[in-house]
Amino acid sequence: MELQETLEEGYVEILDHLRKRSLWMLHYCTACGAIELPPTITSRFDAERFGIAPFVTSRQSDILLVTGYINIKTLRRLITVYEQMLPPKYVIGFGSCTINGGIYWDSYAIVKRLDLYLPVDVYIAGCMPTPMAVLEGFRTLMKLIDEGKANGWKKYQENYEYYKENQRKVLKW
Amino acid sequence: MVKEILTLIFTPILAFFVGIFLLGFKRKMVARIHRRYGPPLHQPLLDIIKLLSKKENISHGVMFDLGPVMYVGAAILTVLFLPIPGFKQLTPFGDLIAFLYIMVIGSLGMALGAGESGNPNASIGIARALTLMLGYELPLIIAGNTLVIKYGTTDLYKFMTLQSGFHWNLFLLPLTAIAGFIATYGAMGEHPFDVVVAPQEVATGPMVEYGGKHLGLLMIGMAISTYIETGFFVILFLGGGANILTFILKQLGVIIVMTLFDTVFPRFRIENAVRYFWRWPTLIALVGLLIVYIGGK
Amino acid sequence: MNFSLLMILLTPFFGGLLAYAASALHKSVRNIFFLIFMLIPFVELPVYLNKTVDNFYYLTILGQNLSLGINPLSSMMLLLFTLIFFLSSIFMMFEFNDRGEEGDLAVLELSFLEGAVFGVLLARDILTFFIFFELMAVLVFFLVGKGYKEAHTAQMKYITWALIGANSMLAAIVLLLFKAGNIGYTEIAGYLSTAPTSIVIVTFILFAIGFLIEASIMPFHVWTPITYAEAPDSVSVVLASVVKKVGLYLFALFAFSLFGLNLFSKLLPQVLDNSLVMYILQWIGALTIIIGTFIAIVQEDAKKILAWSSVAQSGYILLALSLGTPLGVAGGLLHIINHSIFKGLLFFVVGGVIYRTGTKNLPELGGLIKKMPLSFISMLLGIIAVAGIPPLNGFNSKYLIYEALIQKNEPILLTIALLGGTGSFMYVYRLIHSIFLGQLHEVHESVKEVPILMQIPMIVLALLALLFGVLPGIPMYFVSKAEAFLGFNPIKYNLTGFPEQPGLHAVNVPVISITFVAGLVVAGLLFYLLPRARKVHQLDNYYAGEVLTKDVKYNYSFGFYSFFDDIIAPFNKWSVESVYESFVGFIKTAGDYLRRVYTGNLETYVSFGVILLVIFSLIYILGGILW
Repeated sequence: MELQETLEEGYVEILDHLRKRSLWMLHYCTACGAIELPPTITSRFDAERFGIAPFVTSRQSDILLVTGYINIKTLRRLITVYEQMLPPKYVIGFGSCTINGGIYWDSYAIVKRLDLYLPVDVYIAGCMPTPMAVLEGFRTLMKLIDEGKANGWKKYQENYEYYKENQRKVLKW
Repeated sequence: MVKEILTLIFTPILAFFVGIFLLGFKRKMVARIHRRYGPPLHQPLLDIIKLLSKKENISHGVMFDLGPVMYVGAAILTVLFLPIPGFKQLTPFGDLIAFLYIMVIGSLGMALGAGESGNPNASIGIARALTLMLGYELPLIIAGNTLVIKYGTTDLYKFMTLQSGFHWNLFLLPLTAIAGFIATYGAMGEHPFDVVVAPQEVATGPMVEYGGKHLGLLMIGMAISTYIETGFFVILFLGGGANILTFILKQLGVIIVMTLFDTVFPRFRIENAVRYFWRWPTLIALVGLLIVYIGGK
Repeated sequence: MNFSLLMILLTPFFGGLLAYAASALHKSVRNIFFLIFMLIPFVELPVYLNKTVDNFYYLTILGQNLSLGINPLSSMMLLLFTLIFFLSSIFMMFEFNDRGEEGDLAVLELSFLEGAVFGVLLARDILTFFIFFELMAVLVFFLVGKGYKEAHTAQMKYITWALIGANSMLAAIVLLLFKAGNIGYTEIAGYLSTAPTSIVIVTFILFAIGFLIEASIMPFHVWTPITYAEAPDSVSVVLASVVKKVGLYLFALFAFSLFGLNLFSKLLPQVLDNSLVMYILQWIGALTIIIGTFIAIVQEDAKKILAWSSVAQSGYILLALSLGTPLGVAGGLLHIINHSIFKGLLFFVVGGVIYRTGTKNLPELGGLIKKMPLSFISMLLGIIAVAGIPPLNGFNSKYLIYEALIQKNEPILLTIALLGGTGSFMYVYRLIHSIFLGQLHEVHESVKEVPILMQIPMIVLALLALLFGVLPGIPMYFVSKAEAFLGFNPIKYNLTGFPEQPGLHAVNVPVISITFVAGLVVAGLLFYLLPRARKVHQLDNYYAGEVLTKDVKYNYSFGFYSFFDDIIAPFNKWSVESVYESFVGFIKTAGDYLRRVYTGNLETYVSFGVILLVIFSLIYILGGILW
């Protein structure tokens, strides 16, 4: 029993160590923060050397980048896309609007805290964050995966009712 | 006898690792052409490990599951009909024409699996893939026929042995080699003919609903397919190889020359791609055929 | 006078009459008699396998002997056709179940059609085969009329073309009768070996026109698409698998047994190692392949795709047969067997789908894989066979044809044939995708699988296709005997494939199949050892975050290959049908002008008569002085 547990833990550790070098992000540009993605992926601030590549469908990607402000229409689609992704999956809040509303802090149509509706692993502050900050955010995510602490998807599965309750209040589903 | 069977069993594994190396080398080379660092050479292996270790997978039905299984199974079947230096593999049981048809089995399985996903993007992608296949097969067939006339045999192993010692078809039949090379672009889905997997247009075409272990299997099949297609070109036009290392080096050479053209082209539309294939490569191949036909008589 | 061959010939006629009479009692009595008499030839035939018997039955009319006989080529085809007729009669029972009187007539006509086909195959002189050939045409004419909406147009087109062919053959028969004085096959062959060149060429062309019309080769194919598409489904199977093959059988028999390759090479110039007429026929076959395939790709009707596919495949058979080498003839004969099997299978599956859903229009179908899984598997096997992919039977015959073309050193024809193979992959995928894959329409929610008795023809043909594919030695046994009868050296074969011989590289189909299964097992092991996949609903698809609802039709079906249509659009203007239609228009215009003679006015008629009388009397008088 002990041996099996330690073997399993060792197996998960090795997998995490290998997995962190091949994260695929969903190329789903929700708002203005997405303008910082092309410089990050292309030649000057190469994100592909970490294995991070943009992919088009939610079935194939691991990271959901919520780039910029989140209005109610977008939140609906984001939740659908998030639930279509295959675990283990990670959400990165990109920009200040996902933390506390950013420059739209008094708008009626913007969701102020993403954390109530989707489990966020890493926040990248800034409006917009420079590509170097984006890369630092990715590296923080990789470090969290390596330490086994990036468990947003497990949190979502365990507190499913809590998240659904929050979503229903806002989205009138 | 035992050596033959052991070689048969180890060939798919060898093909897989060589394919991984070639794919990783290609990504690195594209990155260097773009003046950036690029992922490490073993990046495709990391991708496959990540995909195969997903905790949950989804499926749309039995045919959806069988698609990648058939693709990998057919890739393993095809790679066993390709000779490697020193070993005949299964070539006494099937020649060039049987090989051309065996190559298609995997795509059929993939097409059926992708069709069952129910996403119209997948169907559009497959329609485009089949039309492109009609396009690039014409110069490839003419090039193959030229070789068959020249050597009087259709055995793939004989193609290798009759070209030994720098009597490569690349030097003896340059026009046919050029036509075959351009056709290989279409077969491998490289720019400018990658309209099948057009991420910005049809959301990766047939693979739109494939994720997790399905996509992992597909990438394994793609690695083996890369080995098969470059190996096919090497056997037909670059003279096989004295031993397995020269074979792999020649495949690497094919990938290098391909990538040099691949990175600078945008994507053709499907009609333009097929029209292009039926115009210049076909003309070049026909001229090559005429030369061999008249010269041989 | 042994009567057993005559019994084989008369069994279907007798069975048809008995079934029609029994239909007055009850439908099921009629069905039982129908099926029993379709099974009887299976019992009668095996005695005659691989025997050659000539002049078995005499009926003397006007001083000529009408005789029957059997030979390995006919017995091979008789066995195949009996199977196809039997399976198609099972299907016909369901199709005409609630059509009352039409069903009784259809049963009668199908039995008589079988008898007519037997008559053509058993004939040993040129008048007998002609009588039964015409009987076949008339019966097909009646059967086609019981089909879908446009069946009457199809009937008219078919009978016009059949009559053109019949008249051409009749001209040749009468010519030969007057020149040779006898109608038996052996006597005609003897006469032709010493006949003047013009007679040989004229009779061959006239006969070829008749046979190639029936075999739907370009440019005589214009009746095929609409007739196959609008006929009832069991009749389509018979049309594609039997009637077309009768034309090709007669072509092979006449070209090799009656006329003979030696005669052609003696009388006609040689072009690249072939006599001229055979070379022209090879190119006609190649053109049929490529044009038939390209038109099949852009069709929107399930049965029209299969009809154009049949046109293309008979191009393959004609190309192979007119090569005139043992490899070519073996490939052609093997393709006749294989094509009957897999085309019949595909028509049965499409017929089953039409029976359950009521439509054959491809944009209206979709997603039926969950409702009709057995039909899907049968169609999958049929599709792999049409595309010529191992391990099904299409691969063996196509392989022989390609190797025959390589042996004859004809690269351009080989290119066209291989390209036709790739093109067939395209239209065949369209068929299975638009019917079985994709989105299921709401109206088809309650569709069930076809009834068990209807599944039997599909399963039998699919298993036969698989068996003949993996073990090609079984059909090759019959093909090599038939080839020997036609005067060629039969090619070597063994149970699992073809061994290495001059001009043919060895191929071993079970090795391919076993390796494929091993690869599947390896991949399947890897697949199933990983975490299980959870089934999701079809609407749970990635569509950029949108949630799809059931009433939206997002099935990609109409204009599946519309980009291919754009590529071949400039060539669409040149259609054979438009040539015939302009000819018909010209005749109509000429007739219009001629009609103006009938003015209905008595004065004009009298004046015509007087003028003609004056002219003729002038000619008579002056002619008498001048000459």
